[in-house]
Amino acid sequence: MDWSVIWSNRELYVSGLWATVLLSIAAIATGTLLGLLVAAVRTSRIPVLAQLARGYLEVFRGTPLLIQMLFIYFGAAYLGLVGITVFGAALLALTLYQGAYIAEIFRAGIEAVPRGQWEASRVLGLPRIQTFLSVILPQTRAIVLPPLVGQYLSLIKDTSIAVVIGYVELVRQGQAVIDRVGDPGTSYIAVAVLYFVICYPLSLLVRRMERKAVTA
Amino acid sequence: MMITDPAAQQKAVTTSRISLSGVHKRFGELEVLKGVDIDVEPGEVVVLIGASGSGKSTLLRIMCDLERADSGAVWVGGVPLHDRKRAPEIFGHVGMVFQQFNLFPHKTALGNVTLALLKVRKLSRAEAEERGRAALKRVGLADKADAYPAQLSGGQQQRVAIARALAMDPAIMFFDEPTSALDPELVGEVTGVMRSLAEDGMTMVVVTHEMRFAKDTADRVVFMDGGVVLEQGPPEQVFGSPAEQRTQQFLHRVLDT
Ligand SMILES: Nc1ncnc2c1ncn2[C@@H]1O[C@H](COP(=O)(O)OP(=O)(O)OP(=O)(O)O)[C@@H](O)[C@H]1O
Ligand SMILES: [Mg+2]
Repeated sequence: MDWSVIWSNRELYVSGLWATVLLSIAAIATGTLLGLLVAAVRTSRIPVLAQLARGYLEVFRGTPLLIQMLFIYFGAAYLGLVGITVFGAALLALTLYQGAYIAEIFRAGIEAVPRGQWEASRVLGLPRIQTFLSVILPQTRAIVLPPLVGQYLSLIKDTSIAVVIGYVELVRQGQAVIDRVGDPGTSYIAVAVLYFVICYPLSLLVRRMERKAVTA
Repeated sequence: MMITDPAAQQKAVTTSRISLSGVHKRFGELEVLKGVDIDVEPGEVVVLIGASGSGKSTLLRIMCDLERADSGAVWVGGVPLHDRKRAPEIFGHVGMVFQQFNLFPHKTALGNVTLALLKVRKLSRAEAEERGRAALKRVGLADKADAYPAQLSGGQQQRVAIARALAMDPAIMFFDEPTSALDPELVGEVTGVMRSLAEDGMTMVVVTHEMRFAKDTADRVVFMDGGVVLEQGPPEQVFGSPAEQRTQQFLHRVLDT
C-alpha cells in the first residue's frame, strides 16, 4: 500500500468530506424537524392526521432508502417534475427516511411524559402547541437524546447512498482517486477513517449521555 | 392576591357559581355518574366525600373540562361546559390542584408559577415574576422561588402547585385529594394554605379524606355514593347526624381507621 497517494489526492478527500458533512447537517436539521412534526401529529389524537402519519411511517420504514432515493431522483424526472437537483433529491430522501425513525424516537419520549403534565397545562389555559413546546418536549430530553444521536450516526453513514444518484461525496471521491491511481484498498481505508472521524465524537457523546441517564 | 386582570374581565368567566344538573358519565360499560345535581355558590367551600370509585374525581374533572359529561348541564363560572364550543373559555380561569402535584419538573418554582402568566396572560416577564412571587409568598414559599420541584418536599411542591393556580387569579379552585400523596407530617402545611384561601372567600370544591379539614373549613359536605349525591349539608349535620345509612357506614369506616 502506498499511503502517499492519499496525501497527494487530499483535495478530493476534503471536498468529498465537505459534501458528506453538508448533506448530513442539512438532513439532520430537516429530518429532526419532520420527525418532531410527525411525532406531534401522531400523539395529537386527531384521528385523520394520526392515520396519515402512520401510513407515512410504514411506507418509509418498510422500503430501502436506496429505492426511495432512486425513485425521488429518477422518478421525479420521469413524472416531469424537473428541477430537482441531485443534492435536493438526496436531502429529500434522507429526510423522509430518517424522519420516520426520528419520529418514533420522539414519540417514545412524548408518551413517557405523564398525562398529568398535559392536564395541568390545559387547566392553566396553555394551548396544546404551547404545552408541547414549553412543557412536554423539554422533559423528553433524557429519553430522546441518546437514541436520537444514535440515529444521526446512521444518517451520516446513509449519506453514502447518495452516490447512486451521482452526488459527489466522500465515497464518490474515494472512487475517483481509485480511478486515477488504482489501489482501492488504501483509498477505501482512507474513506472509512474519515467517516470514523466524523462519527466517533458523536458515539462518545451518546455513551456519555447514556451513562448520565443511568446515574440520574 | 386579588390582582385585577384585564384578560379575565373580557372573558365569559364572570362569576364563581357552579351549577350541575342531571350529569351522567360512563367509561365503557361502567356508569360512574348517574345523574348528579350540585350547586356551589360564590365563596362557598364544598367538600366531596365518598368511597373509592364513587366518582368524586370524575365529577371534579368534569367541572374543569378535563372530562366531558355524557349528558346533563354543567355551568361553571358562567361557562356552559356542555357546549363544546364554549367550554374552553374556562381554561385559565379556574385552578386545579392534583393529588400528584403535576408540577413542571424542568422549571423552578417561579418558572412553574409564571409560565401561564407569560404564555396565556401575555404579561411581561417583570409583571409575571412580580405576580409569581406574590403567589409564592401567599403559600409561604417566597424563599423557594429558584428551587426545582425535585429539591422541595412534597408539601412544598403541593404549595407551589397551589401558587401556580392562584397566580392566574382563578374564579374557582378545585382540589383532588391534595394531601393524599403526602407524608402525614406534611399534610398540615397544605391544609393550612387551603384554610386561609377559604377565609379569603375563595370558592372551592375539595375532594379529600381529611375529615378534620372538612369539619372545620367546609361550608357544606357532599357525600357521593353509587354515582349520585346521596346526602349533603353543613359538616355538623353530615358528620353529626347523617340521615342515610350508607353515609353512617362510610363515616364509621373513615373515622375509625
Ligand atoms: N378514564 C377512565 N377510563 C376508564 N375508567 C375510569 C376512568 N376514570 C375513572 N374511571 C373509573 O371510574 C370510577 C370512578 O372513578 P373516580 O376516579 O371518579 O373515583 P373516585 O371517587 O375519585 O375514587 P378515589 O377515591 O379512588 O379517587 C372508577 O371505577 C374508575 O376506575
Ligand atoms: Mg379520585
